[in-house]
Amino acid sequence: MTGPSGVGIGWRPEIAGFVADLPGLRFVEVVAEGVPASGPLPPGLTQLRERAVTVVPHGVRLSLGGAEPVDPARVGHLAAVAQRLDAPLISEHIAFVRAGGLEAGHLLPLPRSREAVDAVCANVARAQADLPVPIALEPIAALVDWPDDELDEADFLTEILDRTGALLLLDVANVHANARNRGADPLALLDRLPLERIAYAHVAGGAEYGGFYHDTHTDPVPSAVLELVGALCARQRPPALLLERDGHYPPAPELRAELDALAAAAGFPAVT
Amino acid sequence: MSVHAASGDTWGISGPTFLRYYLAAAILVVVIAAYHRVRLAAGSTGAMTTDPLGPQQVAYLNGGPRLAVHAALGGLRASGAIGVRPDRRLTTVGAAPTGLTPLDQAIHWAAHQHARVGDLPQDERVRTALHQIRNGLEQRGLLTDDAQRARARFWATILIALLGLGVLRLVSGLFNGHPVGYLLLTLVPLLIITLVLRRAPMLTRAGRSAVRSVRREHTHLAPASAPAYATYGAAGAAMGVALYGTASLWALDPGFAEQAEIQRQAASGSGWTGGSDGSSGGGDSSGGDGGSSCGGGGGCGGGGCGG
Repeated sequence: MTGPSGVGIGWRPEIAGFVADLPGLRFVEVVAEGVPASGPLPPGLTQLRERAVTVVPHGVRLSLGGAEPVDPARVGHLAAVAQRLDAPLISEHIAFVRAGGLEAGHLLPLPRSREAVDAVCANVARAQADLPVPIALEPIAALVDWPDDELDEADFLTEILDRTGALLLLDVANVHANARNRGADPLALLDRLPLERIAYAHVAGGAEYGGFYHDTHTDPVPSAVLELVGALCARQRPPALLLERDGHYPPAPELRAELDALAAAAGFPAVT
Repeated sequence: MSVHAASGDTWGISGPTFLRYYLAAAILVVVIAAYHRVRLAAGSTGAMTTDPLGPQQVAYLNGGPRLAVHAALGGLRASGAIGVRPDRRLTTVGAAPTGLTPLDQAIHWAAHQHARVGDLPQDERVRTALHQIRNGLEQRGLLTDDAQRARARFWATILIALLGLGVLRLVSGLFNGHPVGYLLLTLVPLLIITLVLRRAPMLTRAGRSAVRSVRREHTHLAPASAPAYATYGAAGAAMGVALYGTASLWALDPGFAEQAEIQRQAASGSGWTGGSDGSSGGGDSSGGDGGSSCGGGGGCGGGGCGG
């Protein structure tokens, strides 16, 4: 189990055949909740493991940011999937997806308060106790800030990473989205983040409408995000970059061109 | 069997005598029928090639000419070359794409003439293209040829007739109160053998294994994975239909599939079993071809018998 390296792509059943045909691929990420803890693995994943491609399970339902403790069964599933895939680490979001027994159905941002930091750190510690591999934490995009934020984004993240010893999964498109939607400078955030803690970075496409940039994962990666990838790599190149595409899949040549553009922006070898 | 009263013998033949001749005939016919059945499955080993099978060839193997037509429709639809009109007739959109197979071209032409999907297998050009595919697959030893299949069926029919004779004798014997134990013991295995040999498969063993291996390489096209046809392109869409039936065509473009009256069916993946073939049962000139390929088949027959 080698750590993520180079340019990877989010493995989805819809494009499993495309991913399988990438000759230089060393690394993919898979939605952990989509992988069974027992029984047969999706055939595409088995083939990638046979090729010694690193597969990182990416959780989306753990709700590390919830006020209540994380569900041990969900942590157990992540642990089982990590073991099955011989993963070097798993990743999850700093967000909550349920509160008071209600499921939001998607990732919700936390207020950046000391209380929230405590809650996240407690949940990460609980998860770490049962996980066989390190965890990387991914901050999420938010269109608005909570009114009672005590910390800024960089301090909030650094505090959580320092106290938990977790790795960082930086979403470059989110950095772009947050800066763009608040009129802030994305480079200023990069300069204040512990970039040496990045396990790998997410890059996704998005679109602008209604005066906001939306991190859709179903559109092409805009040049502004690629430029931000270049700026990040100029400061501290992460070990790996992962292209996230979750729908509205383009023809194979376009998807290959996106992977190539990502490799070029980061100075990684092309995987296509 | 110890009853020897000649006057009471069924059909004037004593039990042991009938059984002796019956057994001899049964063994002879079973051997001949089995030989032809094994040779049928072995196929001609003439032109062995490692060229990968195209979607339409795979579709022909997996579901006969009709599925080959549907696979071509899937490819043409995925590349945006054809559409369907409100009157459920096909139509073309823009110029024909490049790199079309003869079947694609025939269907594209038929779509240009606003044919219905249901009429495509009877279209003259489409039939010609399907015959080409069939001949190619026969030459590669993946499809059984008509003459060989007729021969296998003929001997299976003789076997059924022999079985019928035995049953007749059994019934007469029972009515006359003769012992029929040994005859019954002969008929039961004969019935089982007949059931096994009765089926004349469309695919040779190599054909079935070819379909299996293509299917293994293309599990990502299974409708359960909701494959991204835009990413896989026209060839991926055609292969999806070839391997997983018109269910893939419905997943690709439900509006088109419904409007064009394409029945939603999942392919079994165990190969074409015949039956749905309305267009190519005639076997036109292939009788003569079959004869010559048969003469050279001694070696392969021996190999088949050993296996």
